[in-house]
Amino acid sequence: MQVTARRRGPAARISAVFHQHPWSKLTLLLLPGLLWLGVIYLGSLVSMLVYGFWSLEEFTGLIARDFTLGTYGKLLEPAHRDIIIRTFVMAAAVSAACAVLAFPLAYYMARYATSRMKTVLYLVVIMPLWSSYLVRALAWRQILTNEGIMNWGLERLGLEGVVRAILQTPIIGGPSVIQSYLALFIAFVYLWLPFMILPVEAALERVPRSYLEASSDLGARPWLTFRRIVLPLAKPGLIAGSIFTFSLTLGDFILPSIFGQSQLFLGQEVFLQVGVIGNTPLAAAFTFVAMIIMVGYLLVSRRTGAFETL
Amino acid sequence: MRKLSRWLVAFSTLALIAAGCGGDESGDGDGTAVPTDPDEPRVTEVGDGEGEVSIISWAGYIERGDTDPAYDWVTQFEEDTGCAVTNKTANTSDEMVALMQEGGGQYDLVTASGDASLRLVESGSVQPVNLDLIESYDTVDPNLADAPWHTVDTDGDGTAEHYGVPYQWGYNVLMYNDAVFKGEAPTSWDVVFEEMTLPDGKSNKGRIQAYDGAIYIADAAVYLRAHNPELGITDPYALNRDQFDAALNLLRQQRELVGRYWHDAFVQIDDFGNGEAVASSSWPFQRNVLAAENPDFKSSTPEEGVTGWADTTMMHTDAPHPNCAYMWMEWSLNEKLQGDLAAWFGTVPANLAACEGNELLTDEGCETNGLGDFDQIEFWRTPQADCFDDDEATECVPYLEWVTQYVAVIGGR
Amino acid sequence: MARRTGDRAGVGLRLAAFGVVAFLYVPLAIIILYAFNTQSALFTFPPPGLTTRWFEVALSDRTLWAALRLSVTVAAIATLIALVIGSLLAAAVYRTRFFGREAISFLVLLPIALPGIVTGIALRSSFAIAGVPFSTWTLAVAHATFCIVIVYNNVVARFRRMSPNLTEASADLGATGWQTFRHVVLPNLATALLAGGILAFALSFDEIVVTTFTAGNQRTLPIWIFERLFRPRQRPVTNVAAILVIVMTFVPVLIAQLLTREERQAGP
Repeated sequence: MQVTARRRGPAARISAVFHQHPWSKLTLLLLPGLLWLGVIYLGSLVSMLVYGFWSLEEFTGLIARDFTLGTYGKLLEPAHRDIIIRTFVMAAAVSAACAVLAFPLAYYMARYATSRMKTVLYLVVIMPLWSSYLVRALAWRQILTNEGIMNWGLERLGLEGVVRAILQTPIIGGPSVIQSYLALFIAFVYLWLPFMILPVEAALERVPRSYLEASSDLGARPWLTFRRIVLPLAKPGLIAGSIFTFSLTLGDFILPSIFGQSQLFLGQEVFLQVGVIGNTPLAAAFTFVAMIIMVGYLLVSRRTGAFETL
Repeated sequence: MRKLSRWLVAFSTLALIAAGCGGDESGDGDGTAVPTDPDEPRVTEVGDGEGEVSIISWAGYIERGDTDPAYDWVTQFEEDTGCAVTNKTANTSDEMVALMQEGGGQYDLVTASGDASLRLVESGSVQPVNLDLIESYDTVDPNLADAPWHTVDTDGDGTAEHYGVPYQWGYNVLMYNDAVFKGEAPTSWDVVFEEMTLPDGKSNKGRIQAYDGAIYIADAAVYLRAHNPELGITDPYALNRDQFDAALNLLRQQRELVGRYWHDAFVQIDDFGNGEAVASSSWPFQRNVLAAENPDFKSSTPEEGVTGWADTTMMHTDAPHPNCAYMWMEWSLNEKLQGDLAAWFGTVPANLAACEGNELLTDEGCETNGLGDFDQIEFWRTPQADCFDDDEATECVPYLEWVTQYVAVIGGR
Repeated sequence: MARRTGDRAGVGLRLAAFGVVAFLYVPLAIIILYAFNTQSALFTFPPPGLTTRWFEVALSDRTLWAALRLSVTVAAIATLIALVIGSLLAAAVYRTRFFGREAISFLVLLPIALPGIVTGIALRSSFAIAGVPFSTWTLAVAHATFCIVIVYNNVVARFRRMSPNLTEASADLGATGWQTFRHVVLPNLATALLAGGILAFALSFDEIVVTTFTAGNQRTLPIWIFERLFRPRQRPVTNVAAILVIVMTFVPVLIAQLLTREERQAGP
């Protein structure tokens, strides 16, 4: 065998250096990303935290840059506590509902769909995400309003009494469908559903058929197999999906202003404080709460392997 | 996990240090400016247009025929001056103040109401207007020309400087759906403050709305002034602690009746059109738009009195397009514009010559919109701790507390 | 869990699955229907008449085109940044074990897992503190931050599928690191990069929350739609804008899905 000695150009020499010192290559690869995420993103999170230690001056509405804990302390006021709890409960309810609704479709896609069908269904699930979120929200308003399609359908079926009864229930009811938590809940579930379907489907794909067959061979009925085998294995997907649904609901300020009875949610409060009152410190404090909740949730879900399905 | 907690500790320490050091910085991101020097008018002559002018305004103030082709006072201006108009609508005075204080030269002009204008002057967000450059200024209604909400003596030399050009004024009406009231026009604000059965047989609970700006507390005060004279309210914007608490209690009572607090004029139009709401304090603008489609939508001026707003076009201290801005301010006093605007919004123009000979406004328009009632209207102004007087003994609740308390009331507390 | 021939889902499951699909699409159908509505303000069902004039109104609206241009510009810049940074990070992480490797994966995920207002307010605060005025660039920076993870995930998945033997074989044959990269690694990554880029673009295009906080006077398409959402007499125009967005993103998203099909079918 003939070995040819080749001339080593500068590019070759540089790559040789990297090959001999893998750490330098690693550093170079990491540097831009770390700079961006570390400086711009983390730096921004820090500056937001910093804003929370400042406060808003009275008459002029300008921000006083002197250290104080008073702004964070304001979060404990009853009205503000309400906002946090209200948003948290809605986020949890929406995540739960999304999980339930997502399952049939995700299971069907993972278990029964042919390869072609699967691609089609993927598109079907993803397409709504790429049509304007705002207009889809407005579409629900158009559906649920007194003269919308929902009422039209219910009148044909003679079911208006059901709607009226629902509206009478405390908390979720209201003076009209649009002005109720129920409408807000439905709209949230609708908007975030695709975010739940995809990770659950990804998780279900990894369930080996052999497990299911073994389970039925051992005499388990389908429901038991589902509960004991499928569900636990789908858990990482459910958790991954709920990260999105929870986070999106926690920060949303647009939907609560279209539906409901002006009960403020966290996102709205933040938007209000920043855009209307100019109280960026208080807005930062609220945002920090949202961040803490989500970071906690993320850390917990890391252990369950949910990140593999994202 | 230990690694992560080390990161978190480092993080928070950094943040605390940064917060402590924060006082040394003076970024221009949040408007840490001082009132501008009024001795030197910023602009001494109007040069060539810069090609653009950006205006923050209330919805419906800057129309280019989008909503109704008959109402367009922008296209002509753009053709004449070459300044393209971009309009950012804000729904409350607080929003306008926040936008103007953002700094960084984003906006040129703002149509500020009396409860925003002085805040803008105090914070140095707006600059004095050189009246020599506004030829039409002498057409401005004398009631408005030197009004206290836009003329301030900032340099203490005895003469007040003008900080804007009056645009128009109007008041908050009680808008209602006559299909529900069946010809019995409501003559009192109690329709939105007390629970009652409306002429259509159903309760008003859940079917009324209220403005979600904190200045609405003054409307509650106006109501209490008539119904609870023992509270001794005279100026609804100068409320002492007891009067303020009474107003809040009234608003908490109202909270139970409100279906939704309205923030955006167009959303309210939607709610009324859908039948979700049947009565609310509102601007004549919404009434006009709704009535054009359906004459059942009417408004009345309740006997307890009304609050109102007189708007002034003000110019940002760092306006990026000063020439176009001055051109617009001059244009804003144009007779046809003033008449069309008043007709569209249901208000009274700053240039009273517009009251005659305007097709859209008609010769009775100014009267109908309240021309004769100027003195009875409680115009929006920013509540201050000193109650607007020099009496040391009187202490009033300042605006920031109005805001935080009202947000709490809306939130249900 | 691939399907074997003869394996059919029960009727109940099929009904439920397609019920969910219907749930997802009825509102979209309503949007499209009302774009043709003759009513300009309040929408009733069924609509009294159909017309195409709103398309004319929308397409001749100068502000709509300006907003569209801005959205495309911001999305393009953000995608480019995300492509570069995302792939660099993916390359660093996928095979080498080093201190903080898991932390990087976590960090990359944060901008998209945390609520949009967190990213929005955080960036807004730092722009204010640094004295940077809002502009197209601040928007692009904000969008790039949450787009990175999309590219990162796609590229990592592709790297995992790529056999390490390829790069070794290339080195054995005498190629330098750079040549290996250009002729072996890059072609393999190409479709993953394309797919990631397309998804990142689409994500940035429709984003509203972070945009609201980091745009000054800039109007992207979602902000444009937001401002006109309730305008009376112009309501169907927002529906037309939505259809425009659907059409513009449909083909790229379809392509992205086809390109990444193999990753998803790889399974455990």
